[in-house]
Amino acid sequence: MPLKWVLNWQPNAGSTVNSQILNEVSQCVESINGVKEGRWKATLTFYKPMLRDQALAADFPRDFLGISLPEQPNKYYFILRGHKIVLEADSSIQLIMEKLQSYKSRVALNFEGFQYQLGDFQLRVGKVVPTHSENLRGIVMEVEYLPISSLEKSRQIMDEFVDIWQDTVSKRSLPGHFLHIEPNFSDYGLADHYTSQHTAVQYAHVMAQLIASVQAGQAARN
Amino acid sequence: MLQQHQHYLQSAATAAPPLPPPATSTPPSSTAGEAPPKQVALAMDRLGHAARLIADIRLGADRLLEALFVAAQPHQSSKPLHLFRQEDDSMRQHLQDLRTIGRQLEESGVLNESLRSRSNSWGLHMPLVCPDGAVVAYAWKRQLAGQAGASAVDRTRLALKAFTDQKRRFFPHLDDEQNGQGTDSVSKKHRSSQALLEDNQDNLSDCKTLSDVLTSLEKDMPNLKVLTYERLDWLKRASSLPASANDNTMEVPKHNFHSSSILRPGPQTVVSMDKVAVIELLFPSVFRAVVSLHPAGSIDPDSVAFFSPDEGGSYIHARGSSVYHVYRHITEHAAVALQYFLGIRSETALHSLLHWICSYRSLFTDICSKCGRLLAMEKQSALLLPPVHRPYRTFSPSKVSSTQAIASTGDQSRSAPRAYHIGCFSDEA
Repeated sequence: MPLKWVLNWQPNAGSTVNSQILNEVSQCVESINGVKEGRWKATLTFYKPMLRDQALAADFPRDFLGISLPEQPNKYYFILRGHKIVLEADSSIQLIMEKLQSYKSRVALNFEGFQYQLGDFQLRVGKVVPTHSENLRGIVMEVEYLPISSLEKSRQIMDEFVDIWQDTVSKRSLPGHFLHIEPNFSDYGLADHYTSQHTAVQYAHVMAQLIASVQAGQAARN
Repeated sequence: MLQQHQHYLQSAATAAPPLPPPATSTPPSSTAGEAPPKQVALAMDRLGHAARLIADIRLGADRLLEALFVAAQPHQSSKPLHLFRQEDDSMRQHLQDLRTIGRQLEESGVLNESLRSRSNSWGLHMPLVCPDGAVVAYAWKRQLAGQAGASAVDRTRLALKAFTDQKRRFFPHLDDEQNGQGTDSVSKKHRSSQALLEDNQDNLSDCKTLSDVLTSLEKDMPNLKVLTYERLDWLKRASSLPASANDNTMEVPKHNFHSSSILRPGPQTVVSMDKVAVIELLFPSVFRAVVSLHPAGSIDPDSVAFFSPDEGGSYIHARGSSVYHVYRHITEHAAVALQYFLGIRSETALHSLLHWICSYRSLFTDICSKCGRLLAMEKQSALLLPPVHRPYRTFSPSKVSSTQAIASTGDQSRSAPRAYHIGCFSDEA
């Protein structure tokens, strides 16, 4: 399947993300001839173990994530970032988890926004909001290059595209920039040929960055 | 005798062309009973016959003159006289026939203006001599059939062929003789590409069969998968393609262009070279190119198309179109390159084409030789594209294979095949 890079918005020190920035970013996409196509939405869930003795919770992995992706409506992805494990399961696993009651959702976040087509590129710009809330926590962006599936072969093209993109965004003098840090896919046992599991891993890493920047923001305010 | 002959010819000639009309106001009764199409057919027939007779008369005139010339030489036997008499007889017969035909045509109203001026002559205007000299019975039918357009295409094609032939004759870089005009930069370029061409011709002269071409290609390109198919087999393969795209564990035999399908787990059938009609070139993760040969088993390519290595479906064939912009643009460019290779030297066209296709293995890595970037906004479609043009005029297959060694030492030397964005490409490259 076509490969994609997931980028997240890194606000400058001392500033936070707001919906004005989101609007500006969307305008940037349109300024490079992106054609708005439709909406997209992904959901990420942090799980916590349900234990009789909550004190034991520290023994269990803290970063157990579940992700549903729009391009794979019948699948659900689990990631244990600390252990570098990613798993693709059928979406009915969520039902099983509810029945088992072994892990429950601690926090659930939605990534949602608009999708744009730029020739052979497909862009998605999305806000990060907790479910049942309008509190904007972050901005993510997906850059997908449709013709090929090899991460290695596409690296230069994607690098150049992100450069062009960063240039465009920087012209608007927004308090922050987009960041792309590629996870080490081979740690997760993933190959050069791109799959949705790669996407799941990228989102897990983006989450970690988001949390870090939110915490840094809070620390700066305190 | 000569004067008599000339006079005779002149008088004969005046019998053939259309006579001024004694206008007849009614259609000739002799043909009134026949349906218009039959009259048309008859008239067409007679016109054809007349044209043949005129040709015979011209030939006869030539022979007569020849006989006279020979007779004028000293010490001739009676042979020329004999020839002359023979020709004389046949000429008279031809002219007589021509007069007869002429009379028939006149009677049927073809050679005069009378019927044409009337709007309802059998419901037709005929016969019509079109501007390009073709004679047709029904002008409207011809227009409906688009024949007017078709003949323009034919004329253009003939003109292009004539021009190409002349260019080949007169332009120094394709001529073996020296064009000794000193320091002119154009002629220098011609000489260098002429040297290239001679070099090519040495290398390519031993690639005469399809097997040779494919073997030499496989030798030059170790990363390339070359597969050959009969035409119908390709259709099956194309339709099943997405399934194979993700299968990385497939075993591919070394000389795989001998096998017709690498998808079937069972015994692989060997395609005999004389049935090969489709060549597939796959650079994994970069592109898949499909070349069609016509006729099957020959080394004459007739079309080429590029696709994503992950695309699949029955639209994947040499005249198909990829769903992705980048491959569509390359396909367009490749069509022009193919015509160029065929025009230069059709025996080596396939060899050049296949090697030129291989220069695209760097599609997503080689920057544009003009602007130095990988992605550029293409003006017409307003899309970001990598350099999709590779020059074909100065293309040399030997360059392509030698860059393997150069690239491995990390040195992008000047002899590497250059790449251009659409907007950065200019024809003189």
